[in-house]
Amino acid sequence: MKHAPTIIILALLFLLPVVVLILQAGAPGWRFPELWPELSFDGIAFLTARPRPFLTALASSLGYSLVTVALTLAMTILPAKTLAFTSFRGKNLLEGLLLLPALVPAMTFSMGLHFIFIKIGLADTTPGVILVLSMVSYPYMLRALATGYTLMGREYAVCARNLGASKWRVFLEVEMPQLLPAIAAGASVVFLVAFSEYFLVFLIGGGSIASFTGYLFPLITSSNRGLGALITLVFLAVPIVLFIVLELGLYRYHRKRRMR
Amino acid sequence: MGRRILWGLAPLLLPYCALFCAGMALTMAQSLGLFLPVGPGEATLDHYLTLLEDQAMGQSLGLSLFVAFVSAAGSVLGGTLLALALWRMPPGLRRVGVVSKVGLILPHVAVAFLVLLMLSRTGLVSSALFQTGLISSPEEFPNLLHTGSGLGMILAFLLKGVPFALLLVGAVLFGFDIRLVQTARMLGAGPLRTFWSVTLPRLLPAMHSAFIILFLYAFGSFDIPFVLGESHPGMLSIRVFDIFFQRDLSQRPQAMAILTLMFVFAALFAMLYNRFAAYLDGWRRKL
Repeated sequence: MKHAPTIIILALLFLLPVVVLILQAGAPGWRFPELWPELSFDGIAFLTARPRPFLTALASSLGYSLVTVALTLAMTILPAKTLAFTSFRGKNLLEGLLLLPALVPAMTFSMGLHFIFIKIGLADTTPGVILVLSMVSYPYMLRALATGYTLMGREYAVCARNLGASKWRVFLEVEMPQLLPAIAAGASVVFLVAFSEYFLVFLIGGGSIASFTGYLFPLITSSNRGLGALITLVFLAVPIVLFIVLELGLYRYHRKRRMR
Repeated sequence: MGRRILWGLAPLLLPYCALFCAGMALTMAQSLGLFLPVGPGEATLDHYLTLLEDQAMGQSLGLSLFVAFVSAAGSVLGGTLLALALWRMPPGLRRVGVVSKVGLILPHVAVAFLVLLMLSRTGLVSSALFQTGLISSPEEFPNLLHTGSGLGMILAFLLKGVPFALLLVGAVLFGFDIRLVQTARMLGAGPLRTFWSVTLPRLLPAMHSAFIILFLYAFGSFDIPFVLGESHPGMLSIRVFDIFFQRDLSQRPQAMAILTLMFVFAALFAMLYNRFAAYLDGWRRKL
C-alpha cells in the first residue's frame, strides 16, 4: 500500500477530531487524566430537557443562512452574466473591487456599518444580520456564477432567442439548468460562511438574534465540554445533510429532464 | 461604460455602495474623530499618532502578521502536498479525500474548541502522556496555548486552511491533462524536472489565491483568536474588540483607526501580491 501514509494523515487530521468529539459528547465527565471515557448520556438528556434555546438557535441560524444564500443569488446573477459576457474599460479593477468584501477583514467595514444600522434601525434585527452576511459572502457566489456563465458560453441563449424564445424563457429553460451546478457550488460556500459566522451576528444582532455559533460559544470555555462537543457534532451534521439533499435534488432534476 | 452594462451590474453595485463602501467610509470617518455617537467633531489625526506611539500596537501587529503568515504558508504547503498525494492515487481511492471536508464545514469557533480539547493542559494529549507515564501531572505538560507564541491559533487556522488549499489546488490538479506529464517524461525529463517545469507552474495560480485568502482571513479574523488567543499582546482584531466594547466612547476612534489601517493593508497586500505573482510568472517564462 504505497498510498497508506496519505490515508493515515488524512484520517489523523480530519477523522480523529470527529471521533474525539463523539467520545466527548458521549462522556461529558471525561476529564484529565482519564484516557478512556465513561459513557453517559447527560449531554443528550440536557438537550431534551431544555430543547427550547437549542432549537431556537438552530432554526434562527438556518433561517438567516438560507435567506443569505437566496439574497446573494439574486444580487449576483445578472452582474455575473454581465461580467462574463461583456468587456469594458476598468473591468479588471471593478472585479478586484467587488472581491474586496471577502478579502479585507470583515470587522473593518462592519463596525462602521453597525453605527449606520443603529441610526436607521437595522441593528439588532434579522434583516440587518442578513445584509451584513450577504456582503461578506456574495463574492463566492459571484465567482461561481461568473465561471458558470463563462463555461456555458452564450451560444445556446442566442440560438434560443433566434428561435423565438422570450428573455425569461431563455433564462429559465436554457440558462438555469446549465447554471445549476455553479449555483449549487456558490450556495454551499455562502451557506457555510453564513452558518459558521460568530462575530458579525454577535455585532449586528447585538445578542438579540439567536445563532448556533452564539449558542456554542459559552459552552467552549465552560466546564461542560460534553455538551460543547455534542453541539459541534450538530454543526457538522446540519451542512452535510443539506449538501446530501442538494446533491439528490440536482440528480433527480437532471434525470427528470433527460426523461422528457 | 454602456448603459446596459451599468444596468446589468446595478443589483450588485447598489448594495455594494450602500453597505460596504458606506460602512468603510464611516469607519474611516470615525477614525478621524468625525460622526461619533457623541456628536460631530473636528477632523484630527491624533488617534493615528497615539497608535504610532503605542508599543503594544507593534507587538499586536507582529503577532497578527506572524500567525497569518505561518498558518497560510503551512496550509498552502500541506494542502498542495495532500492534493499531489491524492492525485497519484487511482481515481476510486481518491475519494478518501472527502474526509477533508470536515475541516471546511466546521466553523472556526468549533475548530478552536477542538484545539482546546486536544492540547490544553488537561486535554487529551496531556491525558494520554499521563497514562503512558511520560508526565506525572498536568503541570508538566508544556503550556502550548495562551503563551503569546500563537501556536494554538496557528494549529486551528491550519485545520481550516489545509482543506481549503486542498480544494483549490485539487480542482486544478484533478482536471489536469495527464498527457502533458507523459509527454514531458517521454521527452526525457526526470520526475523532479517534470514537476518543476510542467506541474508546478499550473498549480501556482491556485496556490497564490489560496495564500492570499488564507493570509488575509487569519490576519483579520476574530473567532479563533477570541477563543485561543491571549490579550497581551493580542491579535489586532482582539485589540479592536477590547477598545470598542470595553473602554469608553472617547477611545472608539482608536479602534476605528486600527481597522482603517488593517483595511488599507489588506487591500494593498492583495493588489501587490497579485502584481508580484504575475511578475514572477513572466520572469519564469522568460527563462
